[in-house]
Amino acid sequence: MEPLFEILVSAVLLSSMYVLAAAGFALVLSIMNILNFAHGAIYMVGGFLCYEFSVGYGLNQWLALALSAASMALFGLFLERFLFRRFYGDFFSSVIVSIAVIFVLQTTINLTVAVNVRALPTFAPGMLHLGSVTVSMERLVTAAIGVALLAAMVVFVRVSRTGQQMLAVAQDAEGAALQGIRIHRLAAIAMAAGCAMAAIAGSFMGAVFDLNSTMGDLILVKVMQVVILSGIGSLGGILIGGLVIGSVDSILPLFTTPAITQAVGVAIVIALLLVKPQGLFGREMG
Amino acid sequence: MLRIQDLSKHFGGLRAISDVSIAVDEGEMVGIIGPNGAGKSTLFNLITGNLRPTAGRIEFMGHDIVGTKPHAIAGLGIGRTFQLNPLFAEFTVLENVQASFFLKPKSGLIATFFGLASYRRNEAIVTRKAQEILELLGLDDVRDEPAKSLPQGRQKLLGIARALAIQPRLLLLDEPLGGLSRTEIDSTMQVIQALRTTGMTILLVEHNMIVMDIVDRIHVLNFGCRIASGTMEELRRNPAVIEAYFGTD
Amino acid sequence: MTNTNRAILCVCVIVVLVIVPLLIESPYTFRLFILTFVYVTAAASLRTLALSGQVSMGHAAFMSIGAYTSALLARYGDFSPWLTMPMGGLAAMIVAVLVGFPFARVRTIYFSMVSLFFGIGVLSVYSIFGKYTGHINGLIGIPPLFAGARLPYYYYFLALMVACLAVLWRFEKCRIGTCLKAINQSHVVAASVGISEVKFRVLALAMSCFVVGLVGAGYAHYNMVISYSAFDLPASINLLVYMLVGGISSFAGPIIGAAVLFVVPELFRDLKEYTPYLYAGILLFVVFAMPEGLVGIPDRLGSWLKSKHR
Repeated sequence: MEPLFEILVSAVLLSSMYVLAAAGFALVLSIMNILNFAHGAIYMVGGFLCYEFSVGYGLNQWLALALSAASMALFGLFLERFLFRRFYGDFFSSVIVSIAVIFVLQTTINLTVAVNVRALPTFAPGMLHLGSVTVSMERLVTAAIGVALLAAMVVFVRVSRTGQQMLAVAQDAEGAALQGIRIHRLAAIAMAAGCAMAAIAGSFMGAVFDLNSTMGDLILVKVMQVVILSGIGSLGGILIGGLVIGSVDSILPLFTTPAITQAVGVAIVIALLLVKPQGLFGREMG
Repeated sequence: MLRIQDLSKHFGGLRAISDVSIAVDEGEMVGIIGPNGAGKSTLFNLITGNLRPTAGRIEFMGHDIVGTKPHAIAGLGIGRTFQLNPLFAEFTVLENVQASFFLKPKSGLIATFFGLASYRRNEAIVTRKAQEILELLGLDDVRDEPAKSLPQGRQKLLGIARALAIQPRLLLLDEPLGGLSRTEIDSTMQVIQALRTTGMTILLVEHNMIVMDIVDRIHVLNFGCRIASGTMEELRRNPAVIEAYFGTD
Repeated sequence: MTNTNRAILCVCVIVVLVIVPLLIESPYTFRLFILTFVYVTAAASLRTLALSGQVSMGHAAFMSIGAYTSALLARYGDFSPWLTMPMGGLAAMIVAVLVGFPFARVRTIYFSMVSLFFGIGVLSVYSIFGKYTGHINGLIGIPPLFAGARLPYYYYFLALMVACLAVLWRFEKCRIGTCLKAINQSHVVAASVGISEVKFRVLALAMSCFVVGLVGAGYAHYNMVISYSAFDLPASINLLVYMLVGGISSFAGPIIGAAVLFVVPELFRDLKEYTPYLYAGILLFVVFAMPEGLVGIPDRLGSWLKSKHR
C-alpha cells in the first residue's frame, strides 16, 4: 500500500495528462464535428519528437518539449487546412482520413526512430522527501505542470476573445455562425493548440512511463472515455471527466488487475452512453 | 371509437395539454383547431405513444392505450401523418408505400427470409394495393421517383398514402395542408373528401380553416386546453374562440 | 448493373475462385485467399448491421466470441470443430441479442462509440480469464478442421463465404432489409407503420453477429492459434474501413473494400515497411475523390471511356 500522497500525485498526474490529451480531441469534435482518431498518434509523435530533439540532437529537454509542441501545432494546422476542412460534420469520412494519418505517422516513426520501447530521460530527476513522505520529483513536477497548463487553458478560454468564441461554437455551432464567428480560423487554432497539448502530454508520459509506437492507441481510448464522460461544450466538464478517468486508472490498479480496471472504465462509458449519451455536462453530438 | 379523457401533458413547468377530453365516433371526421403552440401536435403524439401523458386516459375501441409503443399503436389500427412530414426519403414513392404495408398482410420471418409462397403472395397483394393507393392520391405518375424529389404538396400526399397502407381504422392527419400552394390544397382537400366518403374515421389537426367546412365537429384548443367545441357556425359566434383564434376574421 | 449481369458476374467470379487453388503452389498465396474470404464475409456482415444505421466499431469482438467459444469448446471439451463452429456463431448471436436490446435505441454516432467500447470490454473479459484464454500470447493447440492439407481449407472458406454472402444478400433484399432501411431513413415513420425499431435492429445484429462469429470460429480452427490482437480495436476499425472505403451504400461495397484493402498491400509487399503509406494513400484517394467508395470504379471507368469515344 503506497502512501496517500503518492497516490494523490499519481492521480493528479494521470488526470492532468488525460485532460491535456483529451482537450484537443474534444475541441476539434465540438468545433469541426469530426472524430480525429489520429489524435493519439499525434500524442505519440510528440513524445518521440521530444526524444529526438533532446537525446538525438542534444538540446535541452525543456527546449525539446517546446519544439515538439510547436512542430505538432504546425502539423495540426496542416491537418485542418488540407485534410479535415472538407469533412466538417462528416464523422465517417473524418475517421477514414484520421486512420490514414495514423498509418502515416506510425510508419514514419517506425522507420525513422526505430520501434524499440524506450523512455525519455526524466524531466526532473530525483526524489523529494517531505517529512515521512517520499515522492518521485518527476511525477510531482509533471503533475504540477499539467495542472498549470490546464489552468492556463481555462484562463485563456474564459478571458480571450478566441476562447470565448470557441466556447460559443462548442455549445451551439449554428448560433455562433450566425454571429459571424469564423469557424475555419477557430478550427485551425483548435487543432494547433490541441496537437501542441497532446505533444506535451506525450512527452511527459514518455518520460514518466515509456515511449512506444502504440502508445497513441491506448491514449486515444482514454481520451474518448474522458470526452464521453464529460460531453462536449463544457470546459469544466472535461476537467472533471479527466479527473474521474485518471483517478480510476491510477487508484484501481492498486487493488486489482489492469484488465479489471479496463473493464470498469468500459462499463462506466457504456452505462453513460446508454443513459446520458451527451455526457454529464455536454450537449448532443452530430 | 377514440375517447380521450382529462388528458394532461406537462413538460417540467410547461403545461402543453391540460385536462383535454375529446371523443371521436366511428365514421366521423373531427377537426381540432387552435393557434400555433396550442398543443395540437402534442395531442397527436400522446395518442400515438410518441409521448407519455402526465395524466388522463386514452381509450381506443374500448381499450386503454396509454403507454403503448408507437409501432404497437399502428398495429391497433391508428395511422397518422406528421406535421413536418418525414418520409423514407431515399425510397421511391412506390417503395415508400410498399414498405408501409408491413402490418397487413403480415408475412412470418421464416416465410419472408426463404421467400416462401405465402410471402410471395403477400408481396403481390402489397404491390397491387400500393398501386391502388397511389392512384387514389394521384401519385401514380411519380411512383418511381425518389420521395425527396417531390414537391411539398405531393410529399404530404405521400405521407397520407403511407398512413393508408396500414389500413387504419382511425386516421390522424397532422396539419395536412401546412405549407401547401393553392392548387396543392385543392388536391389534398379532394383526397380528404374522398377518404371521408369511404367511411374512414378521421381526426385532423389543422391551422387552415378551409378544411373545417367538411368536418362533423370541431374542437378548439388554446394553451393546451379545450376552450370550445361545436360546428363551424356555433364557433363563429363563440366569443372565446374569436378572441383566441379568429382575431380580425 | 442488371440482375442477370450481376448473377453472371457472380458465377464467373465463383468459377474462377474454384479453379484458382489448383493453379497456385505457395502456402502464402493460399493463406492470402483464405484470409480475404474471412474478411470479406466479416465486412459484409458489418454492413447488414449498418443497414438500419448502426455503424459498429466493435465488430471484431463478435468475431472473437465465435472464435474463442469454438476454440475453447474444441480444445478443452474435446468436441469436433464441426460441432463447435456453429456453437461459436450461436454464442456470438446470443451475446448480440443480449446487448442488442439496450443498444438498439442509441443514436448513430453514439452507437458507434458504444460498440467501440463494447469491443474493448470483450477483450478485457478475455484478459480477466487469461488462464483459459491464453493471456497475451494466445490460445494455442486449437484443433484444426482438416489435418495437414491446404486445399480443403480453401474450399471450406470459399463455400462459407459464398453461403454467408448469399444469406446476407437475401436478408437485405427481402422485406426484412426493407424494414431496416426504412428505420434508417426515419425510425419515427417506420414506427407509425408498425415497424418496431428495437426488434429489427436486434434481428439485424443477431444475423450479422452469427455470420461473423461463424467465420471467426472457422478462422480459429484454421490458424490453430488465436490471440487478442487479432480481434482488437484496430481489427474492428479495419472492418469498418473496408466497408466505408468499399462503399456503404452497396452490397458489393464491403466485398470490394475488403478484397482490395487486404490484398493490394500484400501484392505490393515488396515495398515492405512502406506498405502502410500505400494503404493510407488509397484511403485518402477514396475519401477525397470517390466518396461513393471503390464500388464506383466501374461506373467512373465506364463514363470516362464513353467520354473518350466522342
